Amino acid sequence: MIHTLQQIFHSGKFKLGFAIFTSLLAFIFIYPIFIPEAPLAILGQGTFFPPGIYVNVYDSLDTSKYIINQEGAAKRRIANKLSEDDRVAIKEYLVAAGVDESRIDITNTDELLQQWKATFDPKRSIKGFTNAKRNYYIRLNTALQSLYSTGPAIIAVNDPETNTLLESKKVTVTEYVNVNEVPTVRIFPLGTDNFGRDMLTELVAATKTSLQIGFIAGLIATLIGLTLGLLAGYIGGFVDDIINFISNLFIVIPPFVLLVLISFSIGQEQRGASTVAAVIGFTSWVWTARAVRSQVISLRNRDHVNLSKLSGHSIPHIILTDILPYIASYVIMAMILQISSGILAEASLSILGLGPKTTEVPTLGLMMNWAMIYQAQLQGNWWAYFPVLAVIALIAFSMNLMNTGLDQVFNPSLRD
Amino acid sequence: MKKNLNVLFTLLVLLGIMLSACSAPAATEAPAAEAPAAEAPAAEAPAAEAPVAEEPVTADTLPREQTMYFNGLQWGPITGWNPYSSNNNNAMAVNQQDNALLTMFETPYAYNMLSGEFVPLLADGPYAWDEGMTAITFKIKSAAKWSDGTPITADDAAYTWATNIKYETNAGVSNKEYIDTIEAVDAQTVVVKAKLNADGKAVNPLLVANYLTNNYIIQKAWTETLEARSADAAAFKADPAEDVVGSGPYKKFFADETKVVLERDDNYWGQDASMFGKLPTPKYLAHIMYKDNAAGFTAFQAGEVDVSQQFNANIQDLWLKDMLPVSTYLPEAPYGIGASLPTAFFNVASNGLDQVAIRKAIAMAVDYDTIIANAMTNQSATFTQVPRSIMNPTAGEQGMYDQAAVAELQWTGKDIEGAKAMLDAAGVVDSDGDGWREYNGKKLSYVALCPNGWSDWQAAIEVVAAAGKEIGIEITTNFPEWAVYQTVVTNWPLPEGYDIFMMWSDGAGPAQPWARVRKLIGSEFAQTQGNWNGNWGGYKNADADALIAGIPGMTDPAEVKAAYTELTKIYLTDVPSFTLMYRPQNFHAVNETVWTNFPHDGDGTNPPVPPMDLVFGWGIAGLYNVELVK
Repeated sequence: MIHTLQQIFHSGKFKLGFAIFTSLLAFIFIYPIFIPEAPLAILGQGTFFPPGIYVNVYDSLDTSKYIINQEGAAKRRIANKLSEDDRVAIKEYLVAAGVDESRIDITNTDELLQQWKATFDPKRSIKGFTNAKRNYYIRLNTALQSLYSTGPAIIAVNDPETNTLLESKKVTVTEYVNVNEVPTVRIFPLGTDNFGRDMLTELVAATKTSLQIGFIAGLIATLIGLTLGLLAGYIGGFVDDIINFISNLFIVIPPFVLLVLISFSIGQEQRGASTVAAVIGFTSWVWTARAVRSQVISLRNRDHVNLSKLSGHSIPHIILTDILPYIASYVIMAMILQISSGILAEASLSILGLGPKTTEVPTLGLMMNWAMIYQAQLQGNWWAYFPVLAVIALIAFSMNLMNTGLDQVFNPSLRD
Repeated sequence: MKKNLNVLFTLLVLLGIMLSACSAPAATEAPAAEAPAAEAPAAEAPAAEAPVAEEPVTADTLPREQTMYFNGLQWGPITGWNPYSSNNNNAMAVNQQDNALLTMFETPYAYNMLSGEFVPLLADGPYAWDEGMTAITFKIKSAAKWSDGTPITADDAAYTWATNIKYETNAGVSNKEYIDTIEAVDAQTVVVKAKLNADGKAVNPLLVANYLTNNYIIQKAWTETLEARSADAAAFKADPAEDVVGSGPYKKFFADETKVVLERDDNYWGQDASMFGKLPTPKYLAHIMYKDNAAGFTAFQAGEVDVSQQFNANIQDLWLKDMLPVSTYLPEAPYGIGASLPTAFFNVASNGLDQVAIRKAIAMAVDYDTIIANAMTNQSATFTQVPRSIMNPTAGEQGMYDQAAVAELQWTGKDIEGAKAMLDAAGVVDSDGDGWREYNGKKLSYVALCPNGWSDWQAAIEVVAAAGKEIGIEITTNFPEWAVYQTVVTNWPLPEGYDIFMMWSDGAGPAQPWARVRKLIGSEFAQTQGNWNGNWGGYKNADADALIAGIPGMTDPAEVKAAYTELTKIYLTDVPSFTLMYRPQNFHAVNETVWTNFPHDGDGTNPPVPPMDLVFGWGIAGLYNVELVK
């Protein structure tokens, strides 16, 4: 046993696959210990907040101020509000509004702003400008307001008694806060999804559920396949014909079509994560059964099996002690692949809207489904689907690596 | 043998590559051929269309600069053009409802959802009620003509009504309780006589007037042709009517399972000075049938669609992030004019949902700001901006009830403490300590539903379910397929597992807000079968019924306002259902790559052209203002 394990861990492919898989597993078990948040809690009011550190504006006003005279800060501030494209657009507006083109220098910020301030009229409609463009200029004008004055911004509170504004603070352009001092900071390493949920927390929970689904599905498929394969291969004859007939039926119908039909007919209310796992398991045992059967057929006339028969051992005893150990390595490898394809099957089903019902648990497929419904892939919100894809790919990749590694160890024709 | 197979396989692959290589250039060439065709008519003058060498325009070679493309209206192949049928599945040409579709057929008046006005279309000037409010008289414009050149007469209007009754069309069946006859006094004058009740007053004057904006006038001569070839009423209504004669600015050009195209009728009567004084700008209106929202969105993003009637999540990203020339009716959130109230109904037969306290507690606990920000991506006004009532957010309706009188009853949501206190006060507490409250000794556990695939509703229902957990009421979600959902919720009694479910309410229309209120709380629809109107939760209230019955006959605006205020009070006190968001009548986003000057807030039109995708109600006037981006 120890020797076998040593052999297995000798395979580089297996080691790499195993490392990826265990680090994924470790992460999904360790993460909730440090961030014990409900994975489906809706935090953000709005969809698809990009990844980043979110600092509470209100609380940051009350932390100590640091004056930093940073070189280029003003330049960056201006560039943020007035990009190169904006400058060109301003010039276009000014020219259309009758300002002499030779008088416009888009590199001279102050002059440009003065000209803009003097010319822009939100009500004016300029021939040839679309409404979208008009809206753009209005937004630009609003953004530029704060550039006209370099004085401090004033924070005021409303006095409820007199209903007037009382100045409470002034903020100058050189003031900074230290993020570590702000009591309320929220990090969204992977942003939020369309419901405003923390993507990373959800992803961890989803990976766990998906692995469970894959494991249950793989276990069911392997058990069914193994049992039928053993029976068909060893007993043969009529039993073999029947089992072959059934598995032929399943082979002819593409398993995914079967999966879709069964999931649809179960109906959404009945589709919990474990139901989906069972459905996947019950539709993907065929090839395991086939392969086990042929292996058993080649084993069944070996001498030690015949000896066992002569000794009067029962069929279950022979199957369990004389046949199963010889194909165990194959079964383990098949199961690894079944788990990996179970996870993929769940993802494919959920993308079609036929996965487990929502609200209860997140799964990788459901996360993809919602990202697609809210058109994340069309609007460039990569964090809503790419990490999910990456996790699915990593799981499938690591399992296939492990499988190949095992194959190299156990398959005599591949052994170095 | 194996080698031979390999060779064969390689040959097959090569053949495949060659075939696909051949077809690829063909696909890229097609638009290239289109381009010159589009440039030629840019000279605009009719002379430009004259050259003999020019290929006739087909549905595949529509010149882009003469064609306006739509999405989100037509989702499958159309089955007909028959204005008497309600099964045309023709969202570009036939639809008689509030804000009727006015491209091919026309109503006497076009409804303007922004101003609430009846803008005369086929009619000449405003209509008039007689003394006792028993009949409406209006005249038909002398310039009005059918597309075959014959004049539209009062006789056509009378015959349309007679046909609607005779063949029991939708328009006939839904109005015969309120309209007695429609008669022609002379060639131009039409009288619509209301059905009278025992007191000699009109049963419902509101719905009589409603008929004038919602229902087409159809040509008598063509109707007779159709009658002649139809064996019975079913055949009459099932006829696809390929030869139909309309009066609208567009006529049928092309339709198959991939697209539908309407072509401008250059002899349209509306270019007469008494109507628009000119023809609508786009020569073709085209709608490609997209597979789903995502496909339609991609086309809209690429500028292949000019007017989008789809829920496009985060529409503002198109101009803020992608810098596309896309705009909506309002430049900022909610981007459109909210008109209808997507609403969650309580099944009053479910355990505990007959209790006002439980219903109201759930409604108070729901986080509506999250629904609006996340599910609707801010394309709805919030309940702080427009406090909840039975009115839609348009200024006209908001003025129809006394806001101060019901302010106490309105809630803005996420009031967890208030909801808990309300449940505690009603004695609905968690007595067995399992974390869930009980009523009548049974744990409060509900299922919240909406149809599968209706993404904004699904997301909203998820938020409703989350609220339950906060106040000790278990709410799980379920999204059945629409085919199942619709048959269940429209047929009382509702089965187990249908406790809180979403349906719609009426939007903006000439008979609103009355029709919406009637459908939200009127007992006439409660606990009925085949109910496509409303009040699906089965709530009954005799006081509300009396008020609803009285409003159509009221003439004093103060009296009407008092009645609506009272109804709002009943609705907000009893909470038979609760609105989750405001939704525009039509989503109306435009990509100004090719066309511009679409209706937008403050565009200076008078009466204002509503954001109705340029085809519904008075929105049709927008087609005369659009111009090419130079």
